[in-house]
Amino acid sequence: MKAITVRATILQYNTVFIFLLMLLVSGIITDNFFTAQNISNIFRQSAPIGLVSLGMLLVILTGGIDLSVGAVVAMIGVVFALLSHEVYFPFALLLSLITGLFIGCISGFLVAYRKMAPFIVTLAMMSMIRGAGYLLSKGAPISVGSYSSDILVLGSGSVMGIPVPAIILLMVFAILYILLRYNIYGRVILAIGSNEEAVRLSGINVNIAKFSVYVISAVLTTLAALLLVGRTGVGTANIGVGLELDAIAAVVIGGASLSGGKGSVLNTLLGVFILSMIGNVMNLLDITAYLQQIIKGIIIIAAVLFQRDK
Amino acid sequence: MIELKNISKSYGGARALEHVNLTVEYGKIHALLGENGAGKSTLMKILSGAVQKDAGSIYIDGVEKLIRTPKIAREEGIGIIYQEFSLVPELTASENIFLNHPGNSSWINWHSLHTKADTLVRSLGFSLDVRKKVSALSIAEQQIVEIAKVLTHDLKLIIFDEPSDVLGPQEVQILYRLLEQLKKKHIAIIYISHHLQEILDISDCVTVLRDGKSIATVENKDLSKDKLIAMMLGKELVRHAREYVAPVQEPKIFRATGIRLPMSDIPVEISSRSGEILGIAGLVGAGRTELLRAIFGADRAPGKKVYVNDQLIDTSSPGNSVANGIGMVPEDRKQEGGILDQSIRKNISITNLQQINRGAGFINQKREDELVQTLVAQLRIKCASADAPVDSLSGGNQQKVILAKWINSGADILLIDEPTRGVDVGARAQIYDILFELANKGKTLIVVSSDLEELMTICDRILVMKKGRITGEVTKKDFSEERLLRLAIEEPVAATS
Repeated sequence: MKAITVRATILQYNTVFIFLLMLLVSGIITDNFFTAQNISNIFRQSAPIGLVSLGMLLVILTGGIDLSVGAVVAMIGVVFALLSHEVYFPFALLLSLITGLFIGCISGFLVAYRKMAPFIVTLAMMSMIRGAGYLLSKGAPISVGSYSSDILVLGSGSVMGIPVPAIILLMVFAILYILLRYNIYGRVILAIGSNEEAVRLSGINVNIAKFSVYVISAVLTTLAALLLVGRTGVGTANIGVGLELDAIAAVVIGGASLSGGKGSVLNTLLGVFILSMIGNVMNLLDITAYLQQIIKGIIIIAAVLFQRDK
Repeated sequence: MIELKNISKSYGGARALEHVNLTVEYGKIHALLGENGAGKSTLMKILSGAVQKDAGSIYIDGVEKLIRTPKIAREEGIGIIYQEFSLVPELTASENIFLNHPGNSSWINWHSLHTKADTLVRSLGFSLDVRKKVSALSIAEQQIVEIAKVLTHDLKLIIFDEPSDVLGPQEVQILYRLLEQLKKKHIAIIYISHHLQEILDISDCVTVLRDGKSIATVENKDLSKDKLIAMMLGKELVRHAREYVAPVQEPKIFRATGIRLPMSDIPVEISSRSGEILGIAGLVGAGRTELLRAIFGADRAPGKKVYVNDQLIDTSSPGNSVANGIGMVPEDRKQEGGILDQSIRKNISITNLQQINRGAGFINQKREDELVQTLVAQLRIKCASADAPVDSLSGGNQQKVILAKWINSGADILLIDEPTRGVDVGARAQIYDILFELANKGKTLIVVSSDLEELMTICDRILVMKKGRITGEVTKKDFSEERLLRLAIEEPVAATS
């Protein structure tokens, strides 16, 4: 009986175990993993992908998928960089957010109210938005204008030693955590992923809930784009390629089910950190980027296999 | 002769079967009876190779056989027809029938495949378009395909797992005809059913299982319903009859008009009043489920108007219907009724999230606990805790959770499609009691059921549907199975008011 309980505990918290295991391994095989500088780096690098993954989690919980996030990161970066030459910083920020919101509304509308498959809708959106990014930037990187140099604080600043991106990520995490655990909204989202038709027949407005997750995903992705521009100081249309796959990987490593109804905010965040640490450690060990991709793939499969083992 | 001797099986610590004996003879229908959890399915899974026994032996014609896989079971001549069909929805009926016979060539000869399938279906005394995809067939037709599929093997024994549960009265007659055919072919049949009358009608003998033990095997001529129930439960069942209680308040009149169903051009109108249990009978495909779904707004129904006390109410979507006091227990518990992998608590709460809203959508846990616990106790839902997932419960308790969720919604009008499908005898009586209590409290209940006996037990009035129209109305004093069946099958003579 006792053995069963221990095993059940490990299975229940397996993402936590994988995370701790990664920490341990990282500490052992590198000299400078646990330095303040490196930890701060990991947080800075994790924040954009973390925001995108949390939005992706909401979409996946309803049984959907959002493939457009990588393209959105690129296009919003370009949009902000262009605006930064024209208008004051707060307006540039606001207009970028509205652009993101608008993109989310289109995907959400087509999925929820036109009953199109999320994969198809967001695949098409990905293509359109990527194209729009190149069109707007004419294919060249655009540096941020002097009006909006404040954006650099978003990417590179810190408050009391804590990087600003990390603060934003943790705040979004806290809000979503509470929403999913203690709020009716979270309950409806999870229920839709488990059995959408039963939820509809219980009198719940399923359409608006499904619509909302695509909007939230797009807005969080917009935030991620702004953090990236803040870090590099340029908007460019060719970043974020494959970002959607990293976000999906983080969600899946976090134990969520791609068919919906199962997943947690905490585990998704851990999934993000697990992926970031893999990259970070391999950089510290001077492993080439090509090999990194292969190892990352292996670790994703291993993590999911480990979770499934029942 | 097929014999199972001293079969035992445990799952983890739980004893599922204990020294069970069963002897089935060729050309006979052997019914297997027992409450949910009595061990019927486990026994059949062992016989059909899906599950391994811990102890005991299986003899076919006196020779001991080891049945380790479903494939071996088939080779030994044992086939099973599950309640949940094992058909591939997107393939044609023909392909499904011959799914386990890929043939010698890697190319499909469509013409010969369809001809062979058609011949087989006809030899069973049926006709259906075998070129159609299974997803386009009715449930009764799917069952015919399923049976034809099993018959492509050379079988000695066929196990039927609650086949009549998904069928209407006419289709059930077809099934019985089919069973007669199989008997003539000298095939042994094990027939699992909850319907006592059915067992009395068709079986040659009955074995009753209770708590994993075989209680007795009895010849049909020595049987009665009361005796069967006593054997199943280990005690006599006290049968509750509904006593009509006139509601205290001014009765609410419910009326739905102008409902056009896909199978008819003439719009349907029905009305009922608070405190009444109104039954809707009819064959599968008569439009009963479609009628409930249309009223509830689950499907589009242009032209529909729903009134409560002559006041038009908005039922254009399930959300609006719920807001206006209408609830629906759907036919299919798994796909539509409940969120089965979630907890009892979440399933019950979902129809009325506003009453646990502490503000800004935050959940008042304490209030939710109280509401859920009250309903769990009131409906006597047997569960470890309200946080147990619904799919860990027995069929009867699952159905009670679905009823609890609609009681929780506060609905005055409940549309209930098949209230006791997949529910055993004991829990069935409890569910009837719950329905009676709801009616006594002044709710309006509109109940669809394929089980005429059930409708006659619980309803005050029964409407009969045929091809998307209401073809008859029978009040309590005139209830008889024959009369209802006749209305469901015969062409309407003339417009009767």
